[in-house]
Amino acid sequence: MADVKTYLREWAMPHVLCPGCAHGIVMRGFLAAIDQLQLDQDKVAVVAGIGCSSRIVGYIDFCTLHGTHGRAPAFASGLKLARPDLHVMVITGDGDGLAIGGNHLIHAARRNIDITVMLLNNSIYGMTGGQAAPTTPEGAVASTTPAGNTEPNFDACKLMIGAGASFVARVLAANPIEMSKVIADGVRHPGFSFIEIISDCPEYYGRYNKVGGGADMLTWMARRDAGVAVPLSEKKFVEHVPSSAVPLGMTTGVLERDIRPVFTGVRRQEPL
Amino acid sequence: MSEGTRGLLLSGVGGQGVILASMIVADALLGAGFDVKQSEVHGMAQRGGSVFSHIRWGEDVDSPLVPKGSAEVLAAFEWAEAIRWVEYVREGGAVVADVRTIVPPGACNDRRSWTARYPGIDVDLFNDRELKTRLIDAAATATELGNVRAANSVLLGSVAAFLDIDMAHWESAIERLVPRGTVEINLAAFRAGREFPQARVPRPPLAPEGFSGPHEIDINHVWCKGCDICSRVCPEYCLAVDVDGKLNIIDPEACTGCRLCELLCPDFAIEIHPPRSPVAVSDANTAGGGT
Repeated sequence: MADVKTYLREWAMPHVLCPGCAHGIVMRGFLAAIDQLQLDQDKVAVVAGIGCSSRIVGYIDFCTLHGTHGRAPAFASGLKLARPDLHVMVITGDGDGLAIGGNHLIHAARRNIDITVMLLNNSIYGMTGGQAAPTTPEGAVASTTPAGNTEPNFDACKLMIGAGASFVARVLAANPIEMSKVIADGVRHPGFSFIEIISDCPEYYGRYNKVGGGADMLTWMARRDAGVAVPLSEKKFVEHVPSSAVPLGMTTGVLERDIRPVFTGVRRQEPL
Repeated sequence: MSEGTRGLLLSGVGGQGVILASMIVADALLGAGFDVKQSEVHGMAQRGGSVFSHIRWGEDVDSPLVPKGSAEVLAAFEWAEAIRWVEYVREGGAVVADVRTIVPPGACNDRRSWTARYPGIDVDLFNDRELKTRLIDAAATATELGNVRAANSVLLGSVAAFLDIDMAHWESAIERLVPRGTVEINLAAFRAGREFPQARVPRPPLAPEGFSGPHEIDINHVWCKGCDICSRVCPEYCLAVDVDGKLNIIDPEACTGCRLCELLCPDFAIEIHPPRSPVAVSDANTAGGGT
């Protein structure tokens, strides 16, 4: 296995992410996954929108595109249709993908276009100052919800299963080896792959909610893990832990895996 | 202490069958008409900890604990346990020790190697005292007989040679207590143990190939933001962030190369390299052993 640093734009480092931000761990895990797959660097296209997580594309040495806020799946869909030979991936955040870009995300999933979306969920708007996001858990403190969030939060994976994504998984930044394996699995999967990566924001979420710094947040994240749903097998998702049973609990692992016609393929096989 | 009360100690590591062996000894002694008291400590067994059992027998036994320097026989199922308990044996007593070594996690420098703070096999350790020392490789004998798990019966056979009890008592105790279906192999192992299958040559402690010293930690201080994740996840406490937020290596020798810090560093600031200058295995043993 090669050194993941060979996939970095070393001249751009160190990155802008805050001390202890797990997005950096996810970046390393993503590079390790690409290394496992032995993909040609020039055949990998990574598209991002706006946000802390989307800054990652500035530091990785592939074909990268930093697009407009929330529109990364739209850019990626266009790119994949024009250049089906590329491995198109999207790195997006919870605000980028589920708030402003929710529409683009669900329609890319509905079409089952062959792209891989990695959604880095840190449960808060980190870049703009710690406002409550659609993923902020009920009761959690953010700068716009100083007495605790009163709204329920999105379950991104359920949303994507509902929207028709054919590969849905959830992994923790605290488990970097499993994360790389699942990302590699998602890239291999023909069709729309959605991987929610539970990341963290020590600077806002950790500070406001008194969780602590980067190391504390990783421990806290691992405690929220309600277990692996399905090991990386061909089996479909069978089990779900209801969130009421485990406070803030979440199921990790591959939650959905289905083979459906891929959008690119359908268009090309049946000319108008 | 009642006159004529004699003591025996069994010691080993969790999972070796020390407790079952001690039950068999106690049962055999009871069968021979003695009063027997037995006491054991086994709570730490699942953590790779030491398990030991005291047995005392005689006309009328008051306490189950064997005083230091009074045991007739020490049956040690593991090398370090033999050294740990040898002072309980009386002058002229016997030590039956297995030469197998089971290194506890706490004594490992490198999880894959068996160097570090583990005592080397050194028969001279017993030579300054008047002890009948028998070193056996019970696991090898039991494996030859067909099941490595009968190793405790091999050791028990060696113990039986030092105790003057009729063989019928031993055999009926084994038949009664060992798991169903394993009676024959345990009896065979017991008989083999009585023959003293002398360990060929006590093997040097087991440094596997490939171990060549601690891993090298390479920190890129320009990229490091001092977030403290690495120092908090390091199981060996190799790293620490000082008051200025600078990451320091405080114990470079302790790195086992688990790479947790490298995998969880958000800033790509740590690299773990396998040791660059291979140390000869024998040197590594001398450096680590015997302390």
